Amino acid sequence: MASEGIGARVLRKEDARHLRGRGQFVGDIRIPGMLEVAFVRSPVAHALIRERKKPAGFENSVIFNDDMPGVLPITTRSSIPGYKVSDYPALAAERVRFVGETIAMCVAPNRAAAEDLCELVDIQYEELDPIVNCATGRASGVKPLHDGWTDNLFLRTSFDQGMDEVIAKAPVVVELELSTARQTMHPMEGKGLVAWWDHRAGQLVVHTSTQVPHMIRIGLAECLGIPQAIIRVAAPDVGGGFGYKCMLMPEEVAVAWLAYTRQGAFRWIEDRREHLTAGANARQHEYKIKAYADERGRFLGLDADVAVDCGAYSVWPFSACLEAAQASGNLPGPYDLKAYRCSTFSVATNKPPFAPYRGVARPGVCFAIELTIDAIAKAVGREAWEVRLENLVAASAMPYTNVTKKFYDSGNYPASLLEVKRMIDFDRIRSEPRRDAKGRYLGVGFATYTEQSAHGTKVFAQWGLPLVPGFDQAHVKLTPDGALEIKAGIHTIGQGLETTLAQIAHEQTRVPLKDIRVVLGDTANTPFSTGAYASRGIVMTGGAVSVASEIVAGRIKSIAAHLLQVRPEDISFRDGAIFAGEASVSYEDVGRAWYMRPDQLPDDVDRGGLEATGAYKPQIDSGVFSYASHAAYVAVDAETGLVEILDYAICEDCGTMVNPMIVDGQTIGGAAQGVGTALFEESPYDDNGQPLASTLIDYLLPGPTELPRFRISHMETPSPYSAHGLKGVGEGGAIAPAGALVNAINDALAPLNAAVHTIPASPERILAAIAAAKPTLNDAA
Amino acid sequence: MPMLNVSLTVNGRPAAATVEPRTQLCELLRENLNLTGTHVGCEQGVCGACTVVVDGKPQRSCISYAGDCEGGSITTIEGFDDDALMDELRVAFSRHHALQCGFCTPGMLITARDIILRLGETSAARIREELSGNLCRCTGYVGIVEAVEQVSKGKAARDPKAPVAAIEATVASRPADTVRKVFAPAPRPTVATPSAGTSARKGWSSIEQRLTVGFSPDVVWDRLSDIREVSTCLPGAEITELDGDRIRGKMNVTLGPMKIAFNGDGNVMLDAERRIGRLSGGGRDAGSGSTAEGEVEWRVLPGEASDSLIQVSLSWRLSGRLAQFNRAGLVQDVIQRLASIFVSNLEASLKGEAIGEQSVKSLGIFSLMWGVFKERFLRRTRKNT
Amino acid sequence: MKPAPFDYVRPRSLPEATALLSDESANAKIFAGGQSLGPMLNLRLARPAKLVDIRNIQALRAVRVDEKSYSIGATLTHAEIEDGAFEDFSQGLLPFVARGIAYRAVRNRGTVGGSLSHADPAADWVSTMAAIGATMVVHGPAGERRVPAEQFLVGAFTSKLGATELLTAIELPRLSATARWGYYKVCRKTGEFAKAIGVTIQDPRAGIFRVLAGSTEGRPVLLARSGETLATQGADRAAGVARQEIEEVLPHLEPGHRQQLAVAVQRSLQKISLLETV
Repeated sequence: MASEGIGARVLRKEDARHLRGRGQFVGDIRIPGMLEVAFVRSPVAHALIRERKKPAGFENSVIFNDDMPGVLPITTRSSIPGYKVSDYPALAAERVRFVGETIAMCVAPNRAAAEDLCELVDIQYEELDPIVNCATGRASGVKPLHDGWTDNLFLRTSFDQGMDEVIAKAPVVVELELSTARQTMHPMEGKGLVAWWDHRAGQLVVHTSTQVPHMIRIGLAECLGIPQAIIRVAAPDVGGGFGYKCMLMPEEVAVAWLAYTRQGAFRWIEDRREHLTAGANARQHEYKIKAYADERGRFLGLDADVAVDCGAYSVWPFSACLEAAQASGNLPGPYDLKAYRCSTFSVATNKPPFAPYRGVARPGVCFAIELTIDAIAKAVGREAWEVRLENLVAASAMPYTNVTKKFYDSGNYPASLLEVKRMIDFDRIRSEPRRDAKGRYLGVGFATYTEQSAHGTKVFAQWGLPLVPGFDQAHVKLTPDGALEIKAGIHTIGQGLETTLAQIAHEQTRVPLKDIRVVLGDTANTPFSTGAYASRGIVMTGGAVSVASEIVAGRIKSIAAHLLQVRPEDISFRDGAIFAGEASVSYEDVGRAWYMRPDQLPDDVDRGGLEATGAYKPQIDSGVFSYASHAAYVAVDAETGLVEILDYAICEDCGTMVNPMIVDGQTIGGAAQGVGTALFEESPYDDNGQPLASTLIDYLLPGPTELPRFRISHMETPSPYSAHGLKGVGEGGAIAPAGALVNAINDALAPLNAAVHTIPASPERILAAIAAAKPTLNDAA
Repeated sequence: MPMLNVSLTVNGRPAAATVEPRTQLCELLRENLNLTGTHVGCEQGVCGACTVVVDGKPQRSCISYAGDCEGGSITTIEGFDDDALMDELRVAFSRHHALQCGFCTPGMLITARDIILRLGETSAARIREELSGNLCRCTGYVGIVEAVEQVSKGKAARDPKAPVAAIEATVASRPADTVRKVFAPAPRPTVATPSAGTSARKGWSSIEQRLTVGFSPDVVWDRLSDIREVSTCLPGAEITELDGDRIRGKMNVTLGPMKIAFNGDGNVMLDAERRIGRLSGGGRDAGSGSTAEGEVEWRVLPGEASDSLIQVSLSWRLSGRLAQFNRAGLVQDVIQRLASIFVSNLEASLKGEAIGEQSVKSLGIFSLMWGVFKERFLRRTRKNT
Repeated sequence: MKPAPFDYVRPRSLPEATALLSDESANAKIFAGGQSLGPMLNLRLARPAKLVDIRNIQALRAVRVDEKSYSIGATLTHAEIEDGAFEDFSQGLLPFVARGIAYRAVRNRGTVGGSLSHADPAADWVSTMAAIGATMVVHGPAGERRVPAEQFLVGAFTSKLGATELLTAIELPRLSATARWGYYKVCRKTGEFAKAIGVTIQDPRAGIFRVLAGSTEGRPVLLARSGETLATQGADRAAGVARQEIEEVLPHLEPGHRQQLAVAVQRSLQKISLLETV
């Protein structure tokens, strides 16, 4: 039969409940007596709090910072030299540093009443000058956002290898200034938690919509100053994460404190407005790039100044510096580059903290390097794909250590580029007129990236993070009735781990997929995992499930061999049963023997029984590199500035695919978010630090008519360094669209001599670029 | 607080609840009736996660309220358990990987089912258009569109007119009484050249308006240094106390359904020598939790012959909920109107004409605002501004 | 966010509704579907003390017609217009516009009168009714009055409706079989409010030659010279005039916005000339 194991396109186990509206998201949880929390948030970007007054009669229902003695701020330390620490309080006491910062917590029987109460809390502010952009924030002499800082940067890094020689002799020099807008992440379900005191267990139970339940327990214990053993974090169904739900939030600390101290049940459900204005900020970078090349467009060197608009505080545990570290390390991308200089500036600003959003820094750096390649191609008068192809790391060079010491484990990058060039039908596009029947300008663009996935201990330790992932663990058990139970501390957030982990277990045990249950994301009954982030789940937890299942498979074989009176090596799994020749027993027979009829087993039976915990990390900590090339074909209406994506092709390689359907889903879903980054999504701030996108009318999420029917082809180069050759695929799709689409737009606008260098490439920006280019055209005429 | 007794039919069964009138339909379903399959994604009517069927038609349950659903028949995702078409969609959604996290799925399915019922077999392009009111952040819609397209195959469209309540066409009781010209006159081009957003002060926006009047600068200044007179010309403004250079007052703004009231105090500056007057203040609208500062400045300059030129500039700075929209043009339009009315009222006042009550009172004007300046919102004095 | 507290009433007749509104101190607000009001209620920007739900007043759902004009009730929904719930006298314009408003679930509830009264400059009906030369029938304590649609908006979110008045119906001229119309809007996203709207209506038999630029941040602008050119020299010539006219009458808008308005208007004119050549 077509296997249900690794490589099978099986349907998802998680679908059934969602298709009947029976999923259980955090807002669906009901605890008797549960009260609801709403937060009073700062209306101003930067101010001293002069006075706080609770409404009379509600002293107990309104909580200020001083009501929470002993609660520590969220503090993310880092071992990187020069890194500056920020204290991010659950509730601000003396000073607020961004619009939306939490100041008071109001408790009421329902959300509406809690919001009524918020309106009655009187806070007086003395406004301070806000820092609303990188330029101001990194300027010398600016007053730092945090006391005790010597300048206003969380971190400044620099990397330099071999640039001086290059600068002297490079015949082609290209300079670019690029920027990417601030974004918010928008899982369709926002953040939220229900916290309650479980008298029987003597535990604070926290149901929080998170990607990282075990880490949240550590973080909560640190902030609340209570033992981890009395906290249980159990994540319910999570309506999308994308990075937003892999950090500890002030609201989580505050509501957990409330449940702990009041020994009751409380919930806070983030609404869309809170999400848009107070949380989930990401993506905002500014680049100054100087690229050096030879006459054919071969990279000789790259010099970059990268500023990240980090917001006011460091998030835990990923810090305000992960973005810059990733930017600096990944800017060279899939290219063979020998000389590289990069300075990064992690600038503190009066905006919500920067969080690691799908692709972390790489959508920005990919946009930057891919526009650079196209600019070089233009400078040397060649097609961009040719220049790109010649610069990509060749398959024969694998494994390849790049200029920043990243170890590209395997793959054929040029082949993926050639494949998307074929898919998009580049030659036909180039043979046709550059304008369509409606007069729109047509263009095609490419982008190629590598995605470090499942990077492990050493990499995170290098980034100086307070919490470094080690071995992931999984527990696998054959039940008395012959089913398989998998428990893992990672969590499923839509990426289908209940299915793919079962497929891996099936691969080892051949227990039918329908009989495999996966339990995830509960500190009370799953082994430790740092969680679902960094495209690591399938490699790390998948590896752990593989290890544990293999152990259990061996024990199943031993018991089956005894029941069938053969040697274990004569046992094989087939058609959902256990065979020795033609004789067979069922998994249930084995389970029953161990649990219910041990009298049938020999004395020397393996005492581990039918359950095992496996631990796993790949042979290398440096990550396994997925990669892909994207090609976009667009029509640009030069009169309205509107862009239509006519075709979009992706060729990706994430190593061995556990479930090709899910790989497609992750890739396309990521690419859809990438289109948002490229064309639509933007969270602007005014000069006062006021966020201007507070509704989904202001902040445009791409819908079905804005997105193309993405076409995908796969390459499958198993990693030599991971179990089953797996690589991560969760983030990759989001990385390349901005590069591919803006290159396509600029290709389309080439006859007008216009180019866009800021994303999203909104109609206004496109029209402005065309208008700015017009004088040149007129001059030429 | 008034409570409502609401009776309605939910998933084919009678249901009743006693709730506040402000209760959203999605809250009623989720919190009172425990039907948590209806998800709440934005409460802004955009994302579609909360879509349910009301009286046969998909609708947003986040922008419907308890009262207006009285007597209605609601079907939530849970009510489609035994629905044959929904079964087909469920199978197709799973097969085409049309869901990942599952949060948008109930709303998506309800919309998908309605598309097929209304349109029958449909093109992918039309399905995309029809699905555009349901956002999914996980799938990129590819699987969803494929699933709906597949299920729609071979299905017949419902007669679009059939389910709609018949509306009798009768002869109009009387014809439209407005006589129209073939060509409407062009609107008067704006006199002013507003320079919104280009204020010298950081974080402030301003608009400037000029007016030429046939009085000498001295006469004009004389009138414009009467602060109460000036304030009557500013729509929505009301000075309640005037004490030296301190004023206490109110600024009422009605903008569509928004009624904003800024209460507070501010400053008056009158420079007779240079003929410059300035009214400034700042404060908070308690309802929206928004704070604002505003300033009106008027300068009287000699014009041609014995005329005067009045130069009026309005500046503002907003923070809080009212400031947090990405449609700055709308605010500018409002301030522009405020400036225009102010100027024409000044003109009327100078000519000794009565200022129209309408333009003072009921014209909706956003905000130039005095606020509870000292008491509730302290601003550090900026030396450089 | 959840709304601030409000009370809810459901009048069954126009006099009952007018009586509810006439007490200005009651801070009552008409609820005609709530698809624009709802988000503002939820955001606590709109804070009426009382919602007066007029959707159950049958008189407000009436369609009346005579030889030259017809009137549609204010609480007909966008979806009803889209679906052809009553005979179309607009040569397809109204159903076309209706289908482009927001999303189906919103159209199922949102009403034409509600949208007009909300007076968002970017809303489709605001431009359409002004372009077509409709008349707003307004009911108040003093009785009924009629306001030309192109004058109905005073500015952003502000109409000629007084606090105690309500829009009961819209009267429109019937377009003849020879009528042509073009409606073009610039939107980044389906269902989003338009950045720019261009409407052209040409009905020689009824003597209608009207060209309009909408979504101008304020009142939509009838382009008189463009309309005149359309009548005398045709759509192609009018397109040239329109760009110039927009530059003149909307000098305060951003150049990019004027550009989009010019294109929207030109494309609405183009559609006429395409229809003419067919």
